[in-house]
This record gives sequence, C-alpha cells and structure tokens, in this order.
Amino acid sequence: MTTLTTRAPLPVLEHATGTRAPTDHSPVDHAAAAAVFNANPSRVDWHDAAIWFAREKRDRAVALVPEWEMLRELASDIKEHTLSHLDEYLVAFETAATANGATVHWARDAEEHNRIVHDILVAAKVRHLVKSKSMLTEECGLNAYLEARGIGVVDTDLGERIVQLRGEHPSHIVTPAIHLTKEEVGETFAEHLGTPVGMSDPNELTAAARVHLREKFLDAHAAMTGVNFALAETGGVVVCTNEGNADLGIVLAPVHIASMGIEKLIPGPNELAVFLRLLARSATGQRVTVYTSHMHRPAAGHELHIVLVDNGRTEQLSRPDFWRSLKCIRCGACMNTCPVYRRSGGYSYGATVPGPIGSILAPGMDLEKYSALPFASTLCGSCTAVCPVKIDIDAQLYRWRQIVVEAGHASAKKQAASRLGGVVLANRFLLSLAGKVMRATMRFVPRSLMRVLAGEWARERELPLPPRESFSAWYQARGDKQVLRSAQDDNHRSAQDDTRRAAQDDNGRSAQDDRQP
Amino acid sequence: MTSRDAILTAIRTVRPAPVARPDVGARVAAFEPFSHPVSRFVEAAEAAAACVVRGRRDELGELLAAAYPALGRNVSVLSALDPAAPPPLPHSFADTDVFVCEGVLGVAENGAVWLPLSRLRYRSALFLATNVIVVLDSEAIVDTLHHAYARIDVSEDDYGVFVAGPSKTADIEQSLVIGAHGPKSLTLVLLEPGNARIVDAAASSVRDASLRPTSS
Repeated sequence: MTTLTTRAPLPVLEHATGTRAPTDHSPVDHAAAAAVFNANPSRVDWHDAAIWFAREKRDRAVALVPEWEMLRELASDIKEHTLSHLDEYLVAFETAATANGATVHWARDAEEHNRIVHDILVAAKVRHLVKSKSMLTEECGLNAYLEARGIGVVDTDLGERIVQLRGEHPSHIVTPAIHLTKEEVGETFAEHLGTPVGMSDPNELTAAARVHLREKFLDAHAAMTGVNFALAETGGVVVCTNEGNADLGIVLAPVHIASMGIEKLIPGPNELAVFLRLLARSATGQRVTVYTSHMHRPAAGHELHIVLVDNGRTEQLSRPDFWRSLKCIRCGACMNTCPVYRRSGGYSYGATVPGPIGSILAPGMDLEKYSALPFASTLCGSCTAVCPVKIDIDAQLYRWRQIVVEAGHASAKKQAASRLGGVVLANRFLLSLAGKVMRATMRFVPRSLMRVLAGEWARERELPLPPRESFSAWYQARGDKQVLRSAQDDNHRSAQDDTRRAAQDDNGRSAQDDRQP
Repeated sequence: MTSRDAILTAIRTVRPAPVARPDVGARVAAFEPFSHPVSRFVEAAEAAAACVVRGRRDELGELLAAAYPALGRNVSVLSALDPAAPPPLPHSFADTDVFVCEGVLGVAENGAVWLPLSRLRYRSALFLATNVIVVLDSEAIVDTLHHAYARIDVSEDDYGVFVAGPSKTADIEQSLVIGAHGPKSLTLVLLEPGNARIVDAAASSVRDASLRPTSS
C-alpha cells in the first residue's frame, strides 16, 4: 500500500499540550500559546508541511469535480434555507425520528446534554461506553462528566484515543493527534497498551490499537456517535468515518446515543448528496469517506437516542453578522489552509474547534475568554476561498475584532495602537508625515533598536527595508498609461531589475515624494 | 417550559429572513452524463484501496475458494439462508475471516457501494470480518451520489451504508494505514454478462490483494 507522504520524520521536541479543560474560563492568550509552539522551529515546519499537504490533496480532489463551485453555492443556499426555517425542520425531524422508533431529546446547554446522556446510561445500566469522534461531546466536556460519575468512556477514533490516553484534547477536528510524532504515540502506547518500547511504525501502532479497541467494542454496553447530517424528511442521522469505529460501536452495543448540534439538520437525501460530495474532498482529499452510515431505526431490542443540542447556537443564529457561521460542516479545510493555524498549532486557540472557523464560533460562546482569537488571523481570506459552504470567515473575523474592542476586551497596548492607527490612517497629512519619518529613519536607526520599537511584530520576522518613495508619489510620477505598461513589464522583470529601476527613479523624482494625489 | 419549547421559541424569535430552498434536482439534471461510468467506478474504488475483479455469478463459489484457500470462517449472505432461523448475536461474527454480500448500486465518482441492512443481513459482520467481498452488478453503477440518492430510499432500511474501500486511518503522522478497526481488505466483484471464464485470472488477483501487506 502507499503512504500519504514521503516527508522526513517529525522531529521529537517539547511542545504545548492540550490539557486546557472546557471549564477553564480564563482568557486565551493565543500569541503566548503560539510562542510556546514556535519555540521549536523544526516542529513548526513539520506541522506546517503536514497540514498543507492535506490542503494540496483537497485541491487535487476538487479539480476532478467540474461542478465544484456550483456545489458550494448549493450547499451554502441549502444551509441558509434550513437555518432560516430551523424550528420547522427540527419539529419535522423529531416527528419522523420518533415515528422511526428513536427517542429524541432536547438540551439547551452542555450541562443538560451531559445530564441527558448520563440518565440514559444509568437507565440502561451501562458501565462502559465507546464513543466515536464527536466535537460536540468535547464542547460539552462529556468524558469528564461521565467519568466523575463512574462510567468509563473510550474514544475509539485512533487519533482521539491517542490524545485521550495522554490526557489531552484534539488539536485538529479531523486529525486529532496531528501535533504528535509517531515516536510520541509509541511512548503513549508502551505506557498504556503495553506495546514494546521504541515501537514507532504507524502500521504496527495502528495494529496494536486495533486489538486494544476491538476488545472495548465487544465489551461496550452503549455507543455514542456524533452526527454529520440529520435528515428532516426521513428522521435519520448520517455519520461519516474512515475507520469504521462509529459503526462497530453501533452494531454491537444495544444502546446508541447520537448527539448533534441543531445546525446539523438538512432537509433530505437530495441535499445530503451535495454535502457528501463536498465533505471528504474538502477534509482529506478523499472522494468520500470509507463509511457513510445512515441510521433510521434501532435494531430489534436496541435503543436509539438522538440528543439535539443548542448550547449557544440559537444565540449565534440571532446575530445578523455571524449566523452564517452555523453553516459549517466541520471539514477542517479552513484550518489546513490557514497560515496562522499551521504555524501556531491547534492548542494555541484554547477552544474545542480551533482555527479560522473556531475563531468566529468561540467568541459567540464566551467573548471575553476568546477575545484573542479573531486577531489570530492575517485576514488573507484563504479560509473563505476553500470553505465548502461559503462562510465569509475573514469578514466575520474582522467584525468580531470590532466587537472585541468595543467591549473593552482588547489589551491596552492593542487599543492604544488601534487608536493611533485610526487617527493616522484617517488623516492624509499625518499619514504622509508618518511615511516620510519612517522612510527616513528606518534606514539609519540600528536594527536592534528598530526591533524593540516594532515590538511583537518583529519577534518572528525581519523588518523590511523601507521603500525610497511612497506609493502615491510613484503613482503620480508615472501617470495611468505608464503604470499599466510598468505593471506588464514587471511581470517579465526580475526583482533585481525592479530594485535597480526604483533606485534610479528615486534619484530623479525624490522632490515629488510628498505630492498628494 | 420544556427545553424543547424553549429552544423552538427562541429560534422562532431570532431566525433570519427566509431563504428559498434550492432545487438540487434541476441543477443535477443539467450534468453531462459520464461517458464510461464503469471504468470511472473501478478507478475510484481502487483509489480507495479496494481490489476490483470481474466475474460471473455462477463463478462466485470457485472465486472465493480460490481467493481465500487458507482462511477459516467465511460468512456469505449470498448462499441460501434459513429465514426462520433466529438472528445470531452480532458479537458472534467476531472471528469471521471473510464476509460476502451483494451491493445494490455503485457510485462511479467515488467507488462507493450502497449496502442496506436487507442486503447485509448481519451488519456486524461487515465491520468485524477481516476481509469483505462485495458483489455488484456492473449495470448497477450510477454517475454521482445525486443519482444514487434518486435511485434508493434511504429510510426503507433501518440501517444502510455507503462503503468505499477497506477501513483506513491516517491519524499517526498522516501515514495511511489500511485496516483500522474494520476490514483490512475489500474486494469488489463486478458481475458481467457473458460466458467467458474469467474466474482464474480474477482469483489470482484477489489472492494477491489479500496477501498484500497492509504496510506502506
């Protein structure tokens, strides 16, 4: 068989661990957490490349679907339609699912969700629960809740099992253990599963996990799954996995509990086809996941419980600028493409869902705690460009920044810098003066001093050399025709030529530097 | 007020202005049909690490015996089953080496096969067996998932699953490993009309696949 990658092995280095509990309400300092991750440049480089690789696979898969843009458009429209009729679709779903023999539960928040799940398990006398990947149960802190009440929970997704054994949380919603080396996984397995010390081959490690988890599947009294899509017309839930762990749990255990956020609803099977075509291609570059399982009725003698969870979603739905974030289908494409995520790691966000989408969802849950996240972005817009349901993530990040500052959650330094920036950028004279001062001084002030003056911006970067003239001066000097021609010429010239030409221009036209357009 | 009513009332108060339901069917109707759906299906299934062989229905017994000669327990739902027999415990398939079943339709764009409970009969065997063989009529291949859902009724069976290849994971350093929790190999037998004996060639290619190391 093939390996997905031929990259050099990931260097083994210390890094930040994802041990932050969902109940910890202290503000997340993304920059500080990212600095811990960045203390090991080779680890960052590996993480960056590994995750970019997923983005490249996505691009190749997308290129094979000529109607891709039409599918994105459709998916966005379907989600907006469903969200704008969500109450009706929820009632239709409940009616159909109940008629199918499922029990539908409603939970306003995480606490109620956990209580409902616990009550079901107690009523069915369940002591062991297997759980396939569900970011919702992470969001609700379900594992800790159940374990405190004497019920053992085993996460069965391989990546999630690895982080569970380590006492961590997923650092990525699709590949939860992407922050770990195979050597680290080997150490974890040696400690918890008794594998030989030094085992680090992914095949051998996976085989060991298969044996370990097969026992858990056969012993479990209940299986929990997340839900990728719920069908209002038929009352069914759809779960997508590659490992088959959701199905193994469901087909063996007599009790199946499926927990879903209320935004997972779609009208019916015709709409489902659109999302399934987008999901795996966006997530991993696969054309479809290995298993796409449709659960409509429990097997004879089995129970099927579906828990519909709000936990802040209705509030997000009420926000005109942010309700479209609920279109998200959790593919992780925005994380894979994000230059900040790839270089700061999932844990730096301190939220259940990290990355760009997490940075627009989390502030809606707790503005103060997550006030740093909308700033953990370059606003390059790559997330928006790859999002399969066309969420305008970068625009929402920008809007959250304004709300964070208005609410007084930005640091004093950031507020002062923003105020100063606002004054200077709004005034032609000041802007021109500031440019002039910068261009004049940056050449002569020692770099060591400039780095101090530039503050955090210069911590991980070299400062560029200042240009000789301002853009407006350059623009004025050429006139429209010349600018056009110059732009065309530039495409054929080397950067060196450009620099030389700019220097010559500067000699002849420096007097026009400050002329305003 | 119950949580149900609280959530529904809140949604009614805050929900955005209505957006019309898009007509998915009309958009799909405009698609250009695939010129070679069967070869597209084979290519996609192989990309998902399935092994594809072609055979005739009357060759199946020979094919299986030739492909997995050394393996112990095999369970086939294609042989005559006693409908009155009590359903076995799902756990009883834990030591199954080969599970054989027949799919309803295949999807050319992604190599997936639709397996509803009525065709699986023992759904746990699909996940517990080390090797799975899915038989599919090559005339039952549609272009895309849109066409598939137009053809099937997903709620007809209690349970139904699209399967594309053997179970797999890439959770450790993104290295692809075939055989995560479920089957380590998946063989698709595409049934073709005609009289040619193709079982010998097919069997040897299945044997190769089943003996193929699952490592990189």
